[in-house]
Amino acid sequence: MSHAWIDGRPVALHAATAEAARLLAASRVPVVAGLGTDIAGARAAIALAERIGAAVDHMSSDAILRDVEVMRATGMMVTTPNEARLRADVLLLIGAGLVEAWPELPARLLVRPPMAHIDEKVPRRIIWLCAGGGPTKPSGHDEVQMVGRNCKDLPALLAALRARVAGRPVGKTSLSAKALDALAADLRAARFGVAVWSAAALDPLTIEMLCGLVADLNTTTRFTGLALAAADNALGVLQVCGWMTGFPMRTGFGRGFPEHDMWRFDAERLVESGEADCAVWISAYRAAAPAWNRPVPMIALTASNARFRQTPRVHIDVGRPGADHDAVEHCAATGTLVPAVATNPSRAVSVADVLAHIISALPSMGAGPC
Amino acid sequence: MLTRVKGGRVIDPANGRDGIADIWLRDGRIVDAPADSRPDETYDAAGKIVTAGAIDIHSHIAGSNVNTARLLLPELHRSTEARRARAPLSNAEWGTFQTGCRYATMGFTTVVEPAVAPNYALHAHLELADIPIIDKATLSVLGNDDYLLSLMRSGASASLVRDYVAWTLATSRALGIKVINAGGAAAFKCNVRQFSFDDVVPFYGVSSRAIVKTLQRAVHELGVPHPLHVHCNNLGLAGNAETALETIAAAEGLPLHLAHLQFYGYGKEGERGFSSAAARLAEAVNGAKSVTVDVGQVMFGQTVTISSDVLRQFNARAQASPKKWVIFDGDANGGGIVPYNYRSTDFYNAVQWCVGLELFLLIDDPARVFFTTDHPNGAPFTTYPEIFALLMDRDLRAQWIATLPPAAVAMTTLASIKREYSLNEIVTMTRAAPARLLGLRDRGHLGVGAVADIAVYANEADRAKMFRAASLVFKDGELVVRDGEVTRYRWGRALTVAPGHDRAIERRMQDYYSDRYGLSADVMTVPATAIGRPEPFEAVPCAR
Repeated sequence: MSHAWIDGRPVALHAATAEAARLLAASRVPVVAGLGTDIAGARAAIALAERIGAAVDHMSSDAILRDVEVMRATGMMVTTPNEARLRADVLLLIGAGLVEAWPELPARLLVRPPMAHIDEKVPRRIIWLCAGGGPTKPSGHDEVQMVGRNCKDLPALLAALRARVAGRPVGKTSLSAKALDALAADLRAARFGVAVWSAAALDPLTIEMLCGLVADLNTTTRFTGLALAAADNALGVLQVCGWMTGFPMRTGFGRGFPEHDMWRFDAERLVESGEADCAVWISAYRAAAPAWNRPVPMIALTASNARFRQTPRVHIDVGRPGADHDAVEHCAATGTLVPAVATNPSRAVSVADVLAHIISALPSMGAGPC
Repeated sequence: MLTRVKGGRVIDPANGRDGIADIWLRDGRIVDAPADSRPDETYDAAGKIVTAGAIDIHSHIAGSNVNTARLLLPELHRSTEARRARAPLSNAEWGTFQTGCRYATMGFTTVVEPAVAPNYALHAHLELADIPIIDKATLSVLGNDDYLLSLMRSGASASLVRDYVAWTLATSRALGIKVINAGGAAAFKCNVRQFSFDDVVPFYGVSSRAIVKTLQRAVHELGVPHPLHVHCNNLGLAGNAETALETIAAAEGLPLHLAHLQFYGYGKEGERGFSSAAARLAEAVNGAKSVTVDVGQVMFGQTVTISSDVLRQFNARAQASPKKWVIFDGDANGGGIVPYNYRSTDFYNAVQWCVGLELFLLIDDPARVFFTTDHPNGAPFTTYPEIFALLMDRDLRAQWIATLPPAAVAMTTLASIKREYSLNEIVTMTRAAPARLLGLRDRGHLGVGAVADIAVYANEADRAKMFRAASLVFKDGELVVRDGEVTRYRWGRALTVAPGHDRAIERRMQDYYSDRYGLSADVMTVPATAIGRPEPFEAVPCAR
């Protein structure tokens, strides 16, 4: 069974990487996209991008850059999933899509472990604001108090809540004044509250208002935030981008040094506009295809059985990090980078290995940076 | 390959040398002058200064909090990028690659990242692995962690504490242990806003003093070369010299290192209730022979403060410039990122600048006061050359002092201090002494058998220019810098200690992680194979 193809025809791996190197060397505006890979794959992808002057982007950039945007505009207060699990006496869940973003959320956050803990004597409140019309409240978690379940005005509600926490008057919202005041009182009474959100479901101004509410609550008590991670190791890749370039993803090396621009280096825009003339697409955790429609010469490194609108010029099946090969990746349960030992070791190549082959097949440019 | 560095002034205080000599290197080590063989290559160092590679014991160059600072402040990076060619020293260099290159061009070959939360150790080591050329090491942070505080609360034996500390060192691949505002971060989670040396952490019922003493003893008894590295309580507050004095007294004759003492050098004198207490602190340090300190010098300009002292950073958030900050409640310490602009026209900042220099100049023994800016908290490490020049030249200091608010200078003794550091003292402070403090027997000197980490400088009257761009730098015997430019990239190692522990602690930690977090303690490990570099670690022997 083949694992590498050129224009849909099976080839040996070295032929595929050589062709990929040829395409990239000839490209004027390449983009390295998807980036669904482990830490080693991300390090190799950014090294490749630096070498060929490409832009780098992640398939979940839209969501996680919302959190990054709020952080670098106003700052924020955050904590770890572990502290939210063990210490929070008030859990404020915000908006829809939380369980979809983190399927283990009910098991990790809504059930307090039985061991003795500092705040165990304090009863815990779980409030879910504007949960949306998705699945009903997680079974077995009756203590979850749903507030404004199908509200359409979450940004206004958060603004009103923030105003009431600060003792300022507010206009009408979808919640009654009484319910709003009760919620504000609950938040103010928290000893160590944690607000939980998923940027996939919120816009940046809503996240900013929420972070402002959290900061305000710390005038008198302790409250903090937990932004849920996006899939495909997005937060791990964000960290690698940060230390290698100083910037998050959507960073380009076209001028020989890293430049960050959320619009300019959006991979989908680069391809759809016709600016990019070659794309590397990486999706090792699942066989995802890019969202763009415009045909572009593509080098695809994906989990097996990926299907594309347009046949990639070069396609290589890669192993799944933490399954086929050992990996390091962001862990939603700890909020840190952790080692993931292969659960089903195989001979499938890793993204890092394939990219190393491609880099070594590029025409020599003298001593590269490391 | 046999290499000869010929005819330079060799300053090697660890071996009592200061004079014209050749240095010979082979296979990454310094060797005796061979009787008969000819060198394969010779570098002429005539008229130049030849020293061991410098060692920075406290510089926040990697890890989760540092990376958050990068993401918080894209504008710092952008401004640096655009001006790099003309003003390379004006700002923090932001990525890992520049960090290694900038350090190497100044002649530094080993740098310690002093604040790694054990659960972020893998992250920190991955970042360190992307810092080229230099060797690195980490200090793991304990003292706000539930496990230690619970051990102390339950009156656990000293041997159990030692096992836990040794397990942490081994698991996180660290060179030493640091405690940061001992108990303060745990107290902050209970809404405590002010926390001093004899204050008690709620629930656990242990004082900050007890945490420091417990860890100091454990580190000492394990034979870890580097003494407990202490970030005291009350950082940055007027009158906090008392806290530092209490902590120095609490050393009680056992080794203890106090980090960035400048930030604790403040009295409450004067109209503004803010003055230098550096003279009193220096006197205390001079008298406490088991105590070492580093300075954390402030230099003027934009920077960002990155600290695992989450309580202090929370209280400093109103001073953020630009006005944004991140406060992170971690599993233990967490941290805070608060950008800050030190201004020479600001009374408080000017006092801080003076306090740092006073400490450098009033502490007698250059082997007990270490050269740091607490990068980037006092200033980016790229300002080191200017600070060397200030230490070596009282006229230059006078020029700077003349530009500061006189009311600030009047609250310090700096203007009256005549001392100038000699080159030999600078080399002691940045080479011989840090190697000894960290237990790196084959570094910081140029004796036979030492690692061939060598920095050669032109002997310029302009000391800042001299230290900014080394003429030659060798790392493990390989030429990596020539005339202030990196000529060869290579990958360094991270230095570690592993004093050994009773295996029972491993089972205890698995049980603890399982009970408390519902996870395996394996999430804490730093597998060598995960780092992605050949031989990423080098073990440093313990004393016993």
